[in-house]
Amino acid sequence: MQDDQGRFAASVLPHLDAAYNLARWLVRDGHDAQDVVQDALVRALRHFDGFRGGDPRPWLLAIVRNAAFAWLGARRSGEVDFVDHEHELDAALAMDAPPSDPESLAIRRAERREIDAAIAALPIAFREAVVLRELEELSYRDIARITDVPIGTVMSRLSRARHLLAAALRPDAARSLA
Amino acid sequence: MTDDDLWLDALLDDELDAPASLALQRRLAAEPALQRRLDERRALRDAIRTQATRHAAPDALRANLMAMLPSRGDASAAPDMAATAASRASAPASPGDAQAGTRGVPAGAREAQASTRLDAQASSPANPRAALERRGSRAGARRRMALPWLTGFGGALAATLCTLAVVDPAALGWRHGEAMASLQTAEASEAVSAHTRSLLVDHPIEVASSDQHTVRPWLSARLNFVPPVTDFAPQGYPLVGARRDVLSGETAAALVYRHGAHVVSVFVRPVDPAATRAAEATRVVRGFNVIERTQGGLAFCFVSDANPHELRTLADLVAPLTGG
Repeated sequence: MQDDQGRFAASVLPHLDAAYNLARWLVRDGHDAQDVVQDALVRALRHFDGFRGGDPRPWLLAIVRNAAFAWLGARRSGEVDFVDHEHELDAALAMDAPPSDPESLAIRRAERREIDAAIAALPIAFREAVVLRELEELSYRDIARITDVPIGTVMSRLSRARHLLAAALRPDAARSLA
Repeated sequence: MTDDDLWLDALLDDELDAPASLALQRRLAAEPALQRRLDERRALRDAIRTQATRHAAPDALRANLMAMLPSRGDASAAPDMAATAASRASAPASPGDAQAGTRGVPAGAREAQASTRLDAQASSPANPRAALERRGSRAGARRRMALPWLTGFGGALAATLCTLAVVDPAALGWRHGEAMASLQTAEASEAVSAHTRSLLVDHPIEVASSDQHTVRPWLSARLNFVPPVTDFAPQGYPLVGARRDVLSGETAAALVYRHGAHVVSVFVRPVDPAATRAAEATRVVRGFNVIERTQGGLAFCFVSDANPHELRTLADLVAPLTGG
């Protein structure tokens, strides 16, 4: 028992910042994010027997992500009806939009506040992909596992998310973020 | 969104296997527009990594987690705040929880199938998704097979994680570093990925030799620069061999040294001499020690689970800061 606790602490503590960061970006509120992470930790501890080694970070982040979505669902927060949302996403991705002008990807020097705002404005499926990839530097494979979608979907979402971010951070988009 | 973008993103994200990566490098060399697009995506990626806020866990959360541990026996006996959080969220443990812990076997079986199926299209560079799924499946298979002999390595890693648990998170420069540090960290992170991958794949070394007079010509014939290659066996760091690798989308030499039970990867690539200043950065990335050094127009990146002192000893041998 004591061993289990030690193992749990050793597995989870190093990733507490990652867990909080993901929750914070998903629910977009510091206080709610704390509640979500604590909920996730309770679940993680309960299910720790099922964790058989490997990298604990994706395992923990998958639980945090589920807890965050449960929280958002219980709050009926707008984003929210993920199923409907996913349909929109699929439609958008299936459109196979024409390649945009390469020049349009150029971004102006953006400040932290602007970049944070651009990420926060992303649809949640894109947002979580960007946070897991760019802030937590997880592999496509781990992101696929955490968000429970195929690797190809992770790729599509990341690519799409980067287009949206580039659009939001384009020189002529300065005012829209203000 | 085009297939090119998927490729470029996968290259930036270090998700392409070596053949796919080299194929894309050749295209980039021939297509300036594609190279420009890669540069723009890299600029966006770097801007996000250096500027976006990484929210650090509040101290109160950390304290609550510590308080939660002694009452392991009964989950409902978790401390008040955690229990409150659970009831407020009122979310039943979803199937995903159990999945995360127990899906190993069936997922493995699925992967094996997928791997077989995708291998049929394996050599076609026209399908980045298939290439990636294939790469992922294989990496997974390798990881499982590699586990027995990685046990010692994993133990060392676990020990590192335990250490990290008690140090101030600020010590992990990659979480709270300044913009420049974060930018370099992106490279350090890629180096750690490459090092980790080399430990998991079947052939981490393309030319296996402790003879520097074999390794050096092999590298110089395949790279547009010549890295310093010396065997330091007398000092306790025997040269094992070398391979080519790709860091930040650029081909690099990877020298492999051994020190006791530890494998050390030394990545070397040329940098713009004009922008070069003798510089050094030391950090911990995902449990690995990383030392970056710029010296004589070359950027060196040392990656290993050996302790920082042992790693620095090798760094001083390979790229002495005194220039000697």
